[in-house]
Amino acid sequence: MNVHATTHDELAAEMGDSFDTNAMAQESTLLNPRFYTTDFDEMDRIDVSPVREEWDILIAQMKSDPNKGHFKKTADWDEVDWDGMDPKLKRELVDFLVSSCTAEFSGCVLYKEMKRRGNNKDICELFNYMARDEARHAGFINDALREAGVAVNLGFLTKAKKYTYFRPKFIYYATYISEKIGYARYITIYRHLEQNPEKRFHPIFKWFKEWCNDEFSHGEAFALLMRTDPKLTQSFTNKLWIKFFLTAVFATMYVRDHARPEFHKALGVDIDWYDQEVFRKTGEIAKQVFPMELDIDHPAWMPTLKKIERAFRKMEAAEKQGGVGGKLAKWSAMASAGMGFARLYVMPVKKSTPPASVRLEPAY
Amino acid sequence: MSLFTRKVEQVPCTVEVSHRFEALHAHVRFNDGSTIEPGDEVLVQGPPVLAGWGEVITEDRTAVITRANALERLWTRLTGDFEVMELCEFSFSEEITL
Repeated sequence: MNVHATTHDELAAEMGDSFDTNAMAQESTLLNPRFYTTDFDEMDRIDVSPVREEWDILIAQMKSDPNKGHFKKTADWDEVDWDGMDPKLKRELVDFLVSSCTAEFSGCVLYKEMKRRGNNKDICELFNYMARDEARHAGFINDALREAGVAVNLGFLTKAKKYTYFRPKFIYYATYISEKIGYARYITIYRHLEQNPEKRFHPIFKWFKEWCNDEFSHGEAFALLMRTDPKLTQSFTNKLWIKFFLTAVFATMYVRDHARPEFHKALGVDIDWYDQEVFRKTGEIAKQVFPMELDIDHPAWMPTLKKIERAFRKMEAAEKQGGVGGKLAKWSAMASAGMGFARLYVMPVKKSTPPASVRLEPAY
Repeated sequence: MSLFTRKVEQVPCTVEVSHRFEALHAHVRFNDGSTIEPGDEVLVQGPPVLAGWGEVITEDRTAVITRANALERLWTRLTGDFEVMELCEFSFSEEITL
């Protein structure tokens, strides 16, 4: 997903009277989500009977909407001193909020599409609740952005949109990991700030605890979906895919987090420590359905991640440099990142056997 | 479906954009039940639908669907999967140095 900055004046001109002047927006960000299709017939064929009991409990919990009242600004939402904030930190905080908002928004678009196109009552109901949660999260983050003077522009619908395609099983793997890793990220920050309240430089972190429970239960739903068909987690090829997605998501997160040094410094968090902690929690949780865990304590794990991160920096520098020299440097950096990823991918995993009952409760 | 040429269709659609505290979302629904297949391109006609803060806008519009040809459909099916990573909160921005 790409976010393109449009100028403030452009947006104001387009929107006329309805332009959000109260937000005092100094900049605007055009959300530009991708649109998705998948094999809807295959999704219609999903039969949740093998996990019916656990499925009904989870759906009932989502239906009861335990977080309905949570995403409201209360007295706990203290004033943020945006003007007094170090500009670098502000930039990274805004980037964090925009990327979180965009991810929630994309999730909402994807889930809504699945709900709309599907004919399977169980599946449609699930995606309906998940779309509701994601839209709510996006709205909450958007409000925090308004305070920071950033207006989110939803005008993307009138720009040409190409629909991309994900195989259903890839949606399960990727969204399962993304929901569970989202839970691990939020709860790790929340627990850290419980211990170090003076580092809480924005009130949104106070909302992370209940927030991440939504992520957790979305992950649970995908875990149950994967349990309806043993092949999804047990066949030789699918095990390779699972390993691929785990490795790719972990490596991406490592590179991305290192792009926000000021943000993590302000939280008082060492990025390497934080990422390992998040990988550990995610890996532990994912054993509920995946028959393996990546060996993040392998002696080559961290050095290889660092190598990939350096390669990405070089790639970017080379792109800025431009010309033939830049091209060559970029290719060389890409090769280096690719080799790093391949190294991570061939690292032996820790095999495990998922428990008979798949369901977990948030425990961190 | 042709191998190389693209078919263009005009279909009525309903656009809903919510820009509220409770929910931020934007959806397009095709009123005649048209469905989108991999690689198709959709363009909603008219000026941008821009909801101000606190607004929900529902509008009837026309969408132009440019159907992918067989080659594009195949290509999207083969390669689309790798874009799935953008669903993660930490993976959309293209810049490494902010």
